[in-house]
Amino acid sequence: MLIDRSHRGWAMASAAILGAAVVAYVPYTLRSAPPGGGTMLGLVYGTTAFGFMAYATLLALRKKFPIWRIGRTQSWMRGHLWLGALSLPLVLLHSGFLFGHGLTSILMWLFVVVWASGLFGAWLQHTMPRRLLREVPMETIYEQIGRVRAQLLDEGDAVVADACGKLEVEVAPPRPQLLPAASAAGPAVASHLLVSVLRTGSGGADAGAPLRDFYLTEIRPFLEAPSRRHPVADAAAAAVMAAKVRALLPPALHAPLEDLANLCEEERQLLRQERLHGTLHAWLIVHVPLAYAVMVLAVVHLVMALRF
Amino acid sequence: MSTVALTIDGREIAVPKGTTIFDAARLNGIAIPTLCHQQNQTPVGVCRVCVVDVGARVYAASCIRECEPGMKVQTASAPVVQARTTLIEMLMADHPTPCARQERSGDCELETMAAAAGVSQPRFARRLSPRGRDDSSLSIAVDHEACILCDRCVRGCDDIKKNMVIGRSGRGYTAHIGFDLDLPMGSSTCVSCGECMVSCPTGALTNKRVVDAQLEGDRLDPEWILQLPVFKGVSGTFLELNQGAVVKRSIPAGETICREGEFGSTAFYILEGTVEVSINTPIGHVQQQDAGGLSRWFRRIRSTLADRQAHTRTEESGRRYIPIDAPVDLPYEKPIAELAAGDLFGEMTCMSFHPRSATVRAKTPVVVLEMLRNVLDILQKNKTFRAELDRKYRQRALETHIRSVPVFAAMPPDFIGYLRERVELMRFSPGEVIVRQGDAADAFYLVRMGFVKVSERHPGGDVVLTYLGRGSYFGEMGLLGGGVRTATCTALDHVDVVKIAGEDFHLMLSRFPAVREALEKVAQERAAMNQRRAAATETVPIDDFLNQGLMEAQSLLVLDLEKCTRCDQCVKACADAHEGVTRLVREGLRFDKYLVATSCRSCRDPLCMVGCPVGSIRRRNSMEIIIEDWCVGCGLCVRNCPYGNLNLHAFGARRKATGCDLCMEHDEPSCVYACPHDAAHRVEPLTYFGGMLGIREQTAKGSTEGTSK
Repeated sequence: MLIDRSHRGWAMASAAILGAAVVAYVPYTLRSAPPGGGTMLGLVYGTTAFGFMAYATLLALRKKFPIWRIGRTQSWMRGHLWLGALSLPLVLLHSGFLFGHGLTSILMWLFVVVWASGLFGAWLQHTMPRRLLREVPMETIYEQIGRVRAQLLDEGDAVVADACGKLEVEVAPPRPQLLPAASAAGPAVASHLLVSVLRTGSGGADAGAPLRDFYLTEIRPFLEAPSRRHPVADAAAAAVMAAKVRALLPPALHAPLEDLANLCEEERQLLRQERLHGTLHAWLIVHVPLAYAVMVLAVVHLVMALRF
Repeated sequence: MSTVALTIDGREIAVPKGTTIFDAARLNGIAIPTLCHQQNQTPVGVCRVCVVDVGARVYAASCIRECEPGMKVQTASAPVVQARTTLIEMLMADHPTPCARQERSGDCELETMAAAAGVSQPRFARRLSPRGRDDSSLSIAVDHEACILCDRCVRGCDDIKKNMVIGRSGRGYTAHIGFDLDLPMGSSTCVSCGECMVSCPTGALTNKRVVDAQLEGDRLDPEWILQLPVFKGVSGTFLELNQGAVVKRSIPAGETICREGEFGSTAFYILEGTVEVSINTPIGHVQQQDAGGLSRWFRRIRSTLADRQAHTRTEESGRRYIPIDAPVDLPYEKPIAELAAGDLFGEMTCMSFHPRSATVRAKTPVVVLEMLRNVLDILQKNKTFRAELDRKYRQRALETHIRSVPVFAAMPPDFIGYLRERVELMRFSPGEVIVRQGDAADAFYLVRMGFVKVSERHPGGDVVLTYLGRGSYFGEMGLLGGGVRTATCTALDHVDVVKIAGEDFHLMLSRFPAVREALEKVAQERAAMNQRRAAATETVPIDDFLNQGLMEAQSLLVLDLEKCTRCDQCVKACADAHEGVTRLVREGLRFDKYLVATSCRSCRDPLCMVGCPVGSIRRRNSMEIIIEDWCVGCGLCVRNCPYGNLNLHAFGARRKATGCDLCMEHDEPSCVYACPHDAAHRVEPLTYFGGMLGIREQTAKGSTEGTSK
């Protein structure tokens, strides 16, 4: 979500709440000790903060039922951001800026981590979509990346087979469990079996030898098992390699070489998409479970504080 | 009878006066090669391959030169053979090798002759301007490239069959055979008798066999077929060439002949017995279950089927008959009808490969002829058969057809009786213009079969206004307005229309004010819609916008990729709202920073409407696409949508087509409502992107987001 002018209302409301909380806090600090959790004002801070935290946690539930007409998810998200951000200052005011011992301390530190990870997530969601838009023009649906990769490999084989007359490659069988030897050996072995496939095309074999070698030694391994450490994963290095091969090829084979370069570029973009997508969503692995843990501990803390 | 004595190749012979050298040689066992001459045709001497040396200044064409007393003829001297070989070589220079006939049966006369003369690679340059092909006829393929202008087809058509269709067109390099006034063969008055095809010495005119068509049933002897009254006047040659393209099937009572929604390629002609035609798919449009009050906050939208009685939508068409691919329409309330001996059904499926529009079951034991499109085409061009079909249509179907148009539903029988003999039944081939924008409006048209494309000329190019199928009408705007056609109507496939002359149309309006009122209302709505569209089709400076078809869209689901975190909440919401089946995919083309998701766009050129066998997908006057309740679930609209935005929704064993319904039960589409990041928007593209494209705001319709209802 872009944090832009459209957030002005939430930002001002949050600032007003924070301002009021701080204003209420100041006389306490001037006259006596800071208001602890047990004081009336401390309880107000604590209860308000807990309410905000509970509301922020409910976003997960809201997303579970996207078509419930209980307010646009976008509004819930804005509330989650601003009230969630506001909850830490209120908790600090509630505790008089002390982290306490035992359960309270654990709760406080966990909450800080959740709050910080949330802030980090908001920053990621503010910046990463634009990076994805800019850096991955050939973006596909994340779950479809494997399928697209298989297509790229197949396209690469077809381009070279067409250009060079034939191409012999080894491929993993699509369904190893169907092979009798594989099924006897078990799936672990089956997945490592390779089948030799001969593809034939229409081109002449001799002139295309440099292209075929370049494809088999450099490009195909990259398309088959993409990795950022592969030489072709670097666009500049790949361009230099391609230029060297181009010099060895007749003009008729420049177009297939260009096609292969495009396939590599698409693969590089898929790698980039995987990385950016991972970055964009990885923080949730920390944020979500810890948020639930904080809520559980907060309830325990509430019960303990009120009962004892 | 007086005779003439002459010498041919050293042999003295005598022949009756008036005999040509060619015939004289043939009678005496001397073969002279020829291309343009056949024994059953008048010789014209255009190919000059039959030249012989008669001792004159120039060689003579033996097919037209008569024998003269004392004439000494050399048919195979070295100079004659040389001249003949040069002629063959020149003809071969303009002939594709191998031509269709040579490929198929190896008996192209020119190529056989060239091989015998040792001509392989002509020394002469090939012509630079291609003469092209004509595939418009369903039974005869015309390859002008292979034509040697021998005129054998012209004489076959004009002299032997007396059809007078084929002639010469153009001059010099542009000379070619032409049909009627140089029309495509399929649009001409050619009756596909096949005489030109059997006359042609090359692959210029060849029989179009339907490849790999194996019809189940009894193969019929052409002689037997010609005994049937329905085939009276059909060419025996054609039937010989197309054996197996029509079969006889005997079907026991209760057996299904074809099912609605299935694809096919044949038509049926009933010889004996009665069949029942029906639509078995439940009549009902897809409706979102209305969850009122508090419960609607938590309930999913349930897609259910509702008929017109249970749930009336705005702008309900009020149709009383469902159009089908048969000489009858089915009553909406009880979609069943009967057909008997002499009826033809399945024309649209056969001619245009549209899905079957209804289920046909044998009510009694029936005997039918099942035929492929080339046979049906021949039949339809047969004047006797055509007249019989038209007579039956006037008798049985015209009334229900006119009544199937809501504005004419209340027309009294006496007026329909008056129209019965006055209307003209017309047929148009694919691509043929029925009425042209700007021409004088002189008639009103009802679409009887096929699809008509209605388009308007604009500075930026033609804009498709709509597609009209069976039961639709056009031409009223010109007649009601200034007497000038406001749009061009073109046959999209094989189209039959009922033409009501302008004076009859005006008489109808004067006698029935209610009809006038209804038509004027429709005309106004159409005019307003066209005006809105015209306003939206000014030149747009951004190619992408046009290339991606966004100009054609009226409502887009766009995702702002600067905000979208790819969380797929929109897809989940759509699936949740529609029983687990999403109607959108977060994939598509990008325009600027937006992803145009796959979700119904309510296109201005709604290709989904083309070919619907029962005409159940239509455009509202608000320009939205809706699917009527008699959809038979064939899936053609789903296949036709260029953007993959329509789906088939299962209701038990039956299916109905659905598109994005904008979650009509709610204020906002679920996908937009569920997006946590303010990335998903439903927009009217010209308004939304207007600023970016430099288009001034054209319409005051709707806001930019989520209100395309």
